[in-house]
Amino acid sequence: MAVPDVSGSLREALTACAAGGLTGVLRVAGDPGGVVHLIDGGVAAIATPGAPSAEVILLRSGRVSEAGWDAAFTASAASGTSMCAELVASSAAGTGELEALLRIALADAMFVLATGLVEECEPRPSQVDCLLALEPAADFGPLLAEAARRVRVLGATVGERDRFVVVPAAKRSGPPLSSGQDEIVTLADGRRTARDIAFASGRGVYATMLQLARLREAGVLTAVRSGPASAARERAPGTAGPAASAGSAAGDRSDAPGGLPRREKGLPSLPRRTVDARVNVSRTTPHRLLRPRSGGDVGPLGAE
Amino acid sequence: MRNDDEGVTLVTDGELLAQMQALRDKVTGITGTAVASRDGLIITEDTGEVDADNMAALAATSLALAQRIAREAGQGTLREAVTRSSGGYVALYAVGPTAVLVLIGDEGLDIARLHRESRAAVDKIEALLR
Repeated sequence: MAVPDVSGSLREALTACAAGGLTGVLRVAGDPGGVVHLIDGGVAAIATPGAPSAEVILLRSGRVSEAGWDAAFTASAASGTSMCAELVASSAAGTGELEALLRIALADAMFVLATGLVEECEPRPSQVDCLLALEPAADFGPLLAEAARRVRVLGATVGERDRFVVVPAAKRSGPPLSSGQDEIVTLADGRRTARDIAFASGRGVYATMLQLARLREAGVLTAVRSGPASAARERAPGTAGPAASAGSAAGDRSDAPGGLPRREKGLPSLPRRTVDARVNVSRTTPHRLLRPRSGGDVGPLGAE
Repeated sequence: MRNDDEGVTLVTDGELLAQMQALRDKVTGITGTAVASRDGLIITEDTGEVDADNMAALAATSLALAQRIAREAGQGTLREAVTRSSGGYVALYAVGPTAVLVLIGDEGLDIARLHRESRAAVDKIEALLR
């Protein structure tokens, strides 16, 4: 975990925005970076690739259905009222629940921003342009203080680049998992970071990191820092993929009955229809689209 | 890697996979990558739970349609075809005339960085496939 930027350029920029009562955005360049939406100098929302927004948390966690969200969005666009007001008016979410969730999402996003790399902060006055804004907006001071506290709690237990994978059951012991931990364990496939698991489950990044730290301490999960080469599948030639049941569109190259063929090392490639290998695809594609690709008698490599 | 005068190339999977994973590491929110041939067959995949064979076939078709639409609208060369859903994104990039790069991302996908990084990745992948 990087040292939080709680006393660095992000704090300075937020202090300046608060002092000037800025309504607009503070663009934070860096990794993951993001955009802080401000109302009268207070923090109304934060959009960052590093943490799930309130929208993601509402939808992924199932608190609000997609149909309910879409209805509120349409009504909001038509009437010009805020999305929050429409969600409450349609009983998709309660006022208190929504405010609590917005505050949770804000704290989580500030934690991610402050612990990431901050290269530059650029304030820009503008209209309020975010879907779910906390009103009245929050002071930045407590948000940064909370971010620093979270860093202290976590220490170096979970790195942002760590990808988690389950330890085989035979090698571990301990108490049974809670329902929340169950979901995290299911999502820990060696490909996902804490941030990825947070998005997939509709939880905060910090809450996910805490659970991951506990699960790792309990020997349930282990972390891999390098790229998940083992997670990428390189199926053996002729091995049917998951789509095998759909049948082969061009099939006799696949050794397994019904399996889709693959481009494989050592096998001949697609025969060209024209002499020029660097054929203008945009010129030929429309014609191919109007043609059935395979009637069962066409070879897998596109011979016609 | 083997260079084939006829067009689509058969490539050393390790190098290609390394490029795809490097892109995933650089761009926050990418959850899966694949490279497919334009006739819809998978070349190399790192798609996790997503069915790579189906994705390859759909990506090849979708890219061809997007190129056709862009041409019909008189808007020049297609840069990427992006599908945005409630649960994330699928972005398609033409890799030369013979392949397509598929990038799958969640709702938090860093689109700005994706656009910055993908061009260079496409060039590298195209070089590997050449």
